[in-house]
Amino acid sequence: MKTQKLNKKYSPSELADSFVFRTKLTAKQKKEAAGQLAKARKRAGAQLTEAQVVYARIMQLRFQMEDYIKSDQYKVELTFSYFLKQYIQLRYTMNKKFARDIELDEAELSFILNKRRLPSEKVIARLGLHSNNTIPALSWYKLLEKEREHDFVNNDKLMESESKYVKNRLKISR
Amino acid sequence: MQIRHQISGRLRSVLIELVSMEDYKMITKSRFFFNWKTEKQYQVYKLSIIGDKEILGLMSLEHFRNEKRLEIKLLAVSRENRGKHKKYEGIAGNLIAYACREAIRLYAENACVSLIPKDIIRNHYMKKYGMMDAGRQIFLEGLPLLRLLRTYKV
Repeated sequence: MKTQKLNKKYSPSELADSFVFRTKLTAKQKKEAAGQLAKARKRAGAQLTEAQVVYARIMQLRFQMEDYIKSDQYKVELTFSYFLKQYIQLRYTMNKKFARDIELDEAELSFILNKRRLPSEKVIARLGLHSNNTIPALSWYKLLEKEREHDFVNNDKLMESESKYVKNRLKISR
Repeated sequence: MQIRHQISGRLRSVLIELVSMEDYKMITKSRFFFNWKTEKQYQVYKLSIIGDKEILGLMSLEHFRNEKRLEIKLLAVSRENRGKHKKYEGIAGNLIAYACREAIRLYAENACVSLIPKDIIRNHYMKKYGMMDAGRQIFLEGLPLLRLLRTYKV
């Protein structure tokens, strides 16, 4: 079916609900379009308040977290504490103030940020509430689970130390 | 992200992900109007209901890194989801909102999504999705882009 036939079959509103059509521009038209867009964007960009800029950055962090959680890859640097540091830096210059806002002992926060302690479920719940669910507590929880899963799977020492307690193992012919 | 079943009014959660090489076997011109194989040079996304393999909509995006912008090159919903008697409502909107999600993920407050519209439907995109006029192109950036994310529960 050609585009003209579509125009007869559907109203303009129905077309906009169903398609974005391919458009070819000449080099001159492309240049003109790029200039027009650059001007219009300059006007639009200036409209954001400081709070909206922070909101956009928190959304960016959330989408990066979600994509990482979904991916099959584990990256050593993308820990819970890495994302938490990024989150804090978006609104605070001092960790102490953030700790106060979620009623967490400053030392406890420092332990979490330095990967010396894992956050409790209470801390995770407070993180979700602090962002007004912009980054849901569940995303923080899943991020932590990904880290724990990796640590568990790679903990050879644990398997070695626990091996002596297991008897009468299932025999599988290979 | 959800689409609405027109007859029952039920909302169905959807998944938007990159099209695989295997998917191209199912993507026909009769169902998705365009030849989508020519879009392989761009990032092509598919929309489907969670738990169902059937593709309901497609969108290709070109990335302009220097401009912190994604351009929607092509978009089509499946044949049964067009016009007055469409099965599901909101497929195109969800795909456009997903383009906004990708732009935010990459560029935060500088994110921009644009498209070059056909003249007869230009105003409909602007009205329905809050797109702004930039002469030959229309675009989403700043507050309208953030609003669209909220509308489609991204």
